[in-house]
Amino acid sequence: MVQYSSLDATFAALSDPTRRGILQDLRAGPASISDLAARYRMTPTGITKHVRLLEEAGLVVTEKKGRVRHCRLGINRLEHEADWIRDHQQMIEGRMDRLAEFLDRTKGTP
Amino acid sequence: MTTTNPSAPLTVTTPHEREIRVERVFDADRDRVWAAYTDPELLARWWGRGNRLDVERFEFERGGHWRFVEHSDGEAHGFEGRFREITPKDRIVQSFEWDGMPAYVAIDTATFEDLGDDRTRVVTVSQFHTSEERDGMLNSGMAEGLGQSYAALDALLART
Repeated sequence: MVQYSSLDATFAALSDPTRRGILQDLRAGPASISDLAARYRMTPTGITKHVRLLEEAGLVVTEKKGRVRHCRLGINRLEHEADWIRDHQQMIEGRMDRLAEFLDRTKGTP
Repeated sequence: MTTTNPSAPLTVTTPHEREIRVERVFDADRDRVWAAYTDPELLARWWGRGNRLDVERFEFERGGHWRFVEHSDGEAHGFEGRFREITPKDRIVQSFEWDGMPAYVAIDTATFEDLGDDRTRVVTVSQFHTSEERDGMLNSGMAEGLGQSYAALDALLART
C-alpha cells in the first residue's frame, strides 16, 4: 500500500529534531550536505543519514553536482496528512449537524 | 462551518499538535445525547449524515469492536474501530478507521457536559496516528514523544 508506507516514512522522518530543523532550513532555500553539517555541528556522514530518511519520505531531494551534494525540499508537501485531517473534521461537523436535527426531531419522545 | 442555529454554536479549533477539536452545544439533556451516541438504533439515525447506515457491529464496552457501513450514491463506505474508554454519560474514547484509508487511524474522544436548561455540550477531540503508532500506544499506554513530531507536522501543514 503506497499511502501506508509513505505515511509511516513521513512520520518517522519527522520524529527527529535535527531532521525537522533541516526541513525548516530548506524552506529558506537549498543547502549542501557540508552547509548542513556545519550548521548542526555534525559530520557529513551523520547529516547524510538524516537527509536519506527525509529523502525516502519524499520530503527532500538531493542532487550531486561535482563533489557537492545539494539538498532541497521534495514533492511530499504533507497533502495526504492535511487532507485526512480536513476530511475527518468535515465528517464530524456533518455528523454534529445531523445529531442536532435528530435531537430536535425526537424532542419529547422517551 | 455549516451550523445555522445560533443557539447551538459549533466551534472548531486546533489546540496544539496534530489534533482537531469540534465543540457543539445541543438543545437536549445529557441523557438524550448519551442515548443518541450509545443506542445503535438511535445512532443509525444521525451518524450517517443523512445516508443509510448499517450498524454491523456495536460492542459498547472497553475493547469492543464497532463497525458501520454508510451507503451513499450506490457506494458503501465502511468505518470501524474499538472502544478504548467508556465513562457513562461523560466520555467515550474510540479509534476510527475508514476502509478507504487503511493505516490512517484517528482516536476520537467525545465528552458530554450537562449545561442545565436541557442543554449539553459535546466536545470531540480527534488525534491522528498511523496504525503502527496506535499499536505502540496500546502497548505502552501513552503516546509519549509523539507530541514533538506532531508540533513539527502542524507547523509544516500551516505553511503548505
